[in-house]
Amino acid sequence: MSKALDLITRVRGVRGAMLVSTEDGLVVAEQLMEGIKGGAVAALAASLAGRLGRAMEAAGTGTSVFWHLQAEQGALLVVPGDASGGILVVAVAEPDVNIGLVRLELLRAAEAVV
Amino acid sequence: MADEIRALSAQLAQDPQSLVFLRLGEALRRKGQLDAALRVAVNGLERHPHLADAHDLYARILTDKHDYARAFDEWDMAVRIAPHHTGALKGLAFLYFKVGDVAQAEAHLEQARKVEPDDPSIDQAIVMMRKGAAPPAPEPSAAPSPPAAAVSPAAASSALDEARVFAGLEGANEGLLLIDGAGRVLGGSLKDKAGTDVTDAVAAYLAGVSQEAARTAKLLGLGAWMGLSAEGQNGNVHLAHPTPEALLLVVRERGMPLGRLAILAQRATLMARRWLEKQ
Amino acid sequence: MSPQTRAVESWTLRPLTDFVREASVRLVLVLTPAGQVLAQSGFSRAVDVMSAAALAAAIVASTGELARQLRQQPFAALSHQGPKTGFFLATFVTDRGTLAVLAAYDLDVSSLGLVQLFYEQLAADLKAATPKGTVPKQVLAADFERELTDSLNTLFGR
Repeated sequence: MSKALDLITRVRGVRGAMLVSTEDGLVVAEQLMEGIKGGAVAALAASLAGRLGRAMEAAGTGTSVFWHLQAEQGALLVVPGDASGGILVVAVAEPDVNIGLVRLELLRAAEAVV
Repeated sequence: MADEIRALSAQLAQDPQSLVFLRLGEALRRKGQLDAALRVAVNGLERHPHLADAHDLYARILTDKHDYARAFDEWDMAVRIAPHHTGALKGLAFLYFKVGDVAQAEAHLEQARKVEPDDPSIDQAIVMMRKGAAPPAPEPSAAPSPPAAAVSPAAASSALDEARVFAGLEGANEGLLLIDGAGRVLGGSLKDKAGTDVTDAVAAYLAGVSQEAARTAKLLGLGAWMGLSAEGQNGNVHLAHPTPEALLLVVRERGMPLGRLAILAQRATLMARRWLEKQ
Repeated sequence: MSPQTRAVESWTLRPLTDFVREASVRLVLVLTPAGQVLAQSGFSRAVDVMSAAALAAAIVASTGELARQLRQQPFAALSHQGPKTGFFLATFVTDRGTLAVLAAYDLDVSSLGLVQLFYEQLAADLKAATPKGTVPKQVLAADFERELTDSLNTLFGR
């Protein structure tokens, strides 16, 4: 698990990576830079994943396999539960991070977790 | 009425996932067939547990059955899912008044009035309550602005002529949806792969997604959120907010990369913003 | 202010209202380990508040005793999760002594992570809002029934 997270945090601009329990919104494993609150990231990412998942199911686009919340001062990138057995793989990053690269590492980490 | 119920039942049997149960449940309730209405509402809730309108329907039926404690819970749940749900706010006001808590009843009606300032039924209810008479139990027909998911997409889009919102944009006639902060459709429409109109259901869920995205970005110190892109198994979506109050959803085939989808969404956002400023 | 939130001690109201809104919990009690309720949210019947408070106080007492026998600090929090609903019970220390928070949430709209996250804020806000220099009032047996009635009336806005 820690190796999978390690590969994500090596991407330039990534400030932390974690595995989160989808159902509970609790931290399973984390590698975070100082100042990032793991518990808050886990709870909020899981909650947003749940709400987004319901909207996507309703829209007929099926289960989400990757999502990316873009904000002024950073980004949250997530590979959600179903692909990785009830675990969210989450990265917190700078706003100008290479999204494609982080996505790839998140998907790899999800495979490794399964 | 009987014909309507038959037609709605047939529609529901054909597509049990559809939101037609809301109309069927309400029609049965109005006809006084409360047990049948209750079954329809409960079945609907099982399929759509996060739909505020489903909880609202269930609460109205429970109120008719004088089960006020459970009706309170259902309207409470509806407001938790959709804080601006005027039907539920009026329902809670009605129940508060029934237990003699006039202050809470009025507070809920005031909240509803903020959402629907042009709804005369709310003003009437406040006046009646101040005179000491019970405000009427909430009826969907009494509210000119129905709850979010009950807005017919056809009516909403024809009134606002959504074709003009996104005119000239690639794929302007499909997979674009503009809603307000309360989950009401302002323009556009959505269909799933089977061709079923899913505009109302998606609109109802999107308001919650937007609130959660805003809270997440704020509490994690990421500043204001600008967009949310997601890759699904059968399609990709991008959510943006052209104005602080409005939300824009762009849905495209899985084949369209997220980067291109973001560019398309950016264009649609600009067009929606201009259109909204003109309204 | 959330409409269903009521407090006997007014300083608990704002923190509790914020907690209810942010964590999307259905029911909350703020109480002393003796079962005296300071504030409630979401309850519609006095009898439910009384039973929930008594049960929560009993759990706090029994887990406290378990911890004591194991020579541990009292357990910080306790969580139970059913198929649709979760319960969360935790205690924290303020200037007015230990307080407990009991929260029930629907798994459809909230999660243990969210409840824990905003509980930390609630505990911090309640600690900060606790009136300084006041001593918790001892409730005498003779006054108990009147105190209870007064509290329930306040909690239900009567």
